[in-house]
Amino acid sequence: MQKQDIIKSFKDSLFTGLIALALFGPIVGLRTASKGEGLFITPQWGVVFLLVGLCILGRFLININSARRTEFKIFSTLSSKFSSITEDKAKHFAITGILFAVVFPFLPFTDRYFMDVAIMILTYIMLGWGLNIVVGLAGLLDLGYVAFYAVGAYSYALIATTFGWSFWICLPLAGLFAAFFGILLGFPVLRLRGDYLAIVTLGFGEIIRIILINWYEVTNGPDGITGIPRPSFFGLPFKRSPDEGEMSFHTFFGLEYSTMHRIIFLYYLILVLALITNYFTLKIRKLPVGRAWEALREDEIACKSLGVNPTNTKLTAFAIGAMFGGFAGSFFATRQAFISPESFTFIESAIIVAIVVLGGMGSQTGVVLASIFLIGITEIFRDLEQYRMIAFGGAMVLIMVFKPKGILANRKPTILMHGDKK
Amino acid sequence: MSNLLSVEKLTMKFGGLIAIDNLSFDAKKNQITSIIGPNGAGKTTVFNCLTGFYKPTTGQMYLHQADNKVSLRKYTDFKIAHVAKVARTFQNIRLFPAMSVLENLLVAQHNELMIASGYSLYGLLNLKSYRDKEQLAVNKAKYWLDIIGLTHRADDNAGDLPYGDQRKLEIVRAMCIEPKLLCLDEPAAGLNPKESAELNKLLKFIKTEKKTGILLIEHDMSVVMGISDHVVVLNYGKKIFEGTAEQTKKSKEVIEAYLGVDE
Repeated sequence: MQKQDIIKSFKDSLFTGLIALALFGPIVGLRTASKGEGLFITPQWGVVFLLVGLCILGRFLININSARRTEFKIFSTLSSKFSSITEDKAKHFAITGILFAVVFPFLPFTDRYFMDVAIMILTYIMLGWGLNIVVGLAGLLDLGYVAFYAVGAYSYALIATTFGWSFWICLPLAGLFAAFFGILLGFPVLRLRGDYLAIVTLGFGEIIRIILINWYEVTNGPDGITGIPRPSFFGLPFKRSPDEGEMSFHTFFGLEYSTMHRIIFLYYLILVLALITNYFTLKIRKLPVGRAWEALREDEIACKSLGVNPTNTKLTAFAIGAMFGGFAGSFFATRQAFISPESFTFIESAIIVAIVVLGGMGSQTGVVLASIFLIGITEIFRDLEQYRMIAFGGAMVLIMVFKPKGILANRKPTILMHGDKK
Repeated sequence: MSNLLSVEKLTMKFGGLIAIDNLSFDAKKNQITSIIGPNGAGKTTVFNCLTGFYKPTTGQMYLHQADNKVSLRKYTDFKIAHVAKVARTFQNIRLFPAMSVLENLLVAQHNELMIASGYSLYGLLNLKSYRDKEQLAVNKAKYWLDIIGLTHRADDNAGDLPYGDQRKLEIVRAMCIEPKLLCLDEPAAGLNPKESAELNKLLKFIKTEKKTGILLIEHDMSVVMGISDHVVVLNYGKKIFEGTAEQTKKSKEVIEAYLGVDE
């Protein structure tokens, strides 16, 4: 390497250090601490110099490496790993993924915590798949998807607590309610596209949340709804001591009572619901309505010139996407047994949109990978408490750097004339 | 020969600007009618009125069918293509670039396929009646792809095709809705002479074999003069001449409109 290169990269890293100092100085360097009668500032210059030093060193190493035209090994392998995932390999991945998901609860290392995380990831996968219909296929950027999740959860909770109907009756009803709200949102936004649509849907999500907080008589306001019935296994409840003359799951099968039974049942429930969503999406994508969604995403004016009704096409996309959001919502309600408007804030919508976009718009397998990656990483870094969102942001940045179009961006045609050549 | 389309006293105003001024003309069945004129003469506005993208300020447009005539004013938006069967292409190509060539042609058959799939119900159940209908739609797409010689690229993305092929694909996509009237907005724009000649052949085929009337906006005079049966010349929204291609070439008004008047 030339001497002037080293000097140049050294200067560059000093400049990086300057920026780092400007950032870390006030954020890390000045820490407020409350002592007795007020707030005092405790400086932490040591930490600041450590961080700035690290930035300078890191930048210098990157500069030297790029000057040598060799990449960091870890970056290049990561990059090639990601780009080698194509839709063909995705099929094998899907099959092994489903098999793994089926045996997962019985693996030796699986404990209560793993099951909870797995259920959470599966819920997000299902929401991602549902939103994929609206965002990935129809190209309608919906930032208020959590509204349908909330409608599903509250419909389930209200119907189940008021009428005492079973989970399997309430679930489709909740889905229908959510679909109805999807159409309700769809009508005013028919003429909007892109940014304008995103802003209105964002507002819709907030409207639903604020209604849930303020409509105290029905939704119980910020206190939420408690005592939502748990799902039963074909009429067999998961209870330690069943009522007189009633069988519960463990007595019927002659098992020792364990709270894991219910968790495992919930796990399979969300797995089946998610797989139904996936199967439905894959099927409907190959039908005329699915092709019309994609055509609408590509060019709405061309669609009109071919006689495709954009109103109906958009409304079906909203309704079906919302319906799956509603199903996921009822699952959420029955799992938690308690819901409040707190659970349906904008950040949830943002995470679901992030999953769809990072997974690669319209890619079903991409949604799975992105959910595992994003939710998994935030779980791994749970010990860092509030800083774990940094890990979430870092994961998003990593995907965008290495796969700007999402993890799986290749689209496969819905119908082939010459068969599968590859 | 009987009329296919009659435009009667069509006027389109945008605020104070009169884009089309009291325009009347007829297009005959099984003929290619060209609308020419200098830039800004209002040609594309006529198309947008005909195909429901604009609602004309005044005037009528009729599409003649076997025994009655249909007012195109009644239909807006997608219904022009769906009900009145008037298809169009665009000055700047509007394909679905990320979808395959075959998918592009299937979207054009959306309405029939929607009914065949029982509004998705039969399709989800994978009934044979739907699969047969879908096969028919694929066959129709193949028929048109054979004509423009793009069958081997049916599974490629439409956006990956060369420019000339995209033009042809857009025309056959419009033909897939089985239109009575096909409106082409500058189909030869950006084509080389060889591609223009192929386009002429395709348009003549559509005219003679498919018995579809064609309304054509074009600047490329080799295309206009080569295939037009009838030419309408616009300038500043007014019709300044109407006649056959030969008559148009000799018309004093047309030459003046294009080249200006001697001082």
